[in-house]
Amino acid sequence: MSTTLDLHTHSEASEDSRAPVEAYLNWIKLRRAERPLDGIVLTEHRQFNRAADYRHLEDKFGIMVLRASEVETNYGHMLVFGVNDDMLARFDFSNIRLDAQTVIDEVARMGGIVVPCHPGRPNIGLYEHYESKPSLENVVAVEALNGGSRKGEDARADELIAKYGYASTGGSDSHLVSLIGLCATRFAADIKDLEGLVRELKTGAYEAVDFRPRRKVVPHAVAVETR
Amino acid sequence: MVDYDPTIINKVFEHTDPVEVRPDMIERFCETLGERNPLYTDPAAAKTGPYGGIVAPPSFAVTFRNGRHFFEHIPRFGRRGFDAGKDVEFVAPIHPGDKISLSSHVKEIYEKTGRTGSMVFVVIRSTLTNQNNETVAHIDHRFMNRP
Repeated sequence: MSTTLDLHTHSEASEDSRAPVEAYLNWIKLRRAERPLDGIVLTEHRQFNRAADYRHLEDKFGIMVLRASEVETNYGHMLVFGVNDDMLARFDFSNIRLDAQTVIDEVARMGGIVVPCHPGRPNIGLYEHYESKPSLENVVAVEALNGGSRKGEDARADELIAKYGYASTGGSDSHLVSLIGLCATRFAADIKDLEGLVRELKTGAYEAVDFRPRRKVVPHAVAVETR
Repeated sequence: MVDYDPTIINKVFEHTDPVEVRPDMIERFCETLGERNPLYTDPAAAKTGPYGGIVAPPSFAVTFRNGRHFFEHIPRFGRRGFDAGKDVEFVAPIHPGDKISLSSHVKEIYEKTGRTGSMVFVVIRSTLTNQNNETVAHIDHRFMNRP
């Protein structure tokens, strides 16, 4: 038994997304053949909504909905899994200048795990920060595949993974309904809840999976002689 | 953290004089957009519709201007920025003859980082009300500033 989760998604709770959670789940249900997800993890920007409850949608669609957060640090953006009251009391998630090493260590101490996301992205990815600052300690995994990556960004993530031996996750980073599930993470284990997700993320027993449609090869133009 | 006076949040800084919605304003708006929905364009058909007459298309709400066509008192951070878009919430239909006023306040100020660096966003909420003091729409104007 394995579990496939999109670990990086934004619903309309994020200021730059217009995607309702229900629309995400409906889209997944209609396209499960192309994007075989068991669930999604909502990683809203700079916040964690304790009160949000998606159980009725989970029941309606048979798709797991878990919650995490995407925070901003001096080494770029990072996904925080297993957010709890201790973490919310310790950190102001709206602060865009959080100290990355402190977040990684403290979140781990409080029972969660931090995964730097889109590490190959300029300015907000780990790769660029590692060029000018020491590498971070205690990083277990980074996001190897991000649905919003531009050319070369995922390749830079691969370089980091090869150099530092990080485990690889995948997430769509969707802000629009149709982009949900383009990239995901396949876990060897059966995951049923957030505790299970955090436990498995710490093991490294997973792989990034890519469900992005392949681009059709366009044949080279051939010169035609005209008279 | 971005430095600003927190008391500016929710403080109304602009209130416009009422603008009367003439039937030809709706007509011109529909013509420009190619809108042919009879609820907005055909008085006879609209009479039998849910509003008992012509109403303006929802997006008509964004045609009402603020002061001198732009906010004069919005907080600015840094030297550069641009209009980063609008969110419109339609609350009630606008009818010909309505007198629409805009009241604007700073709804939110927040920072974020992206591929291109740090940004400070200022969200101005304009609330449109009619002559009966009924809210017809909210428009959130999002402005990006580069600190």
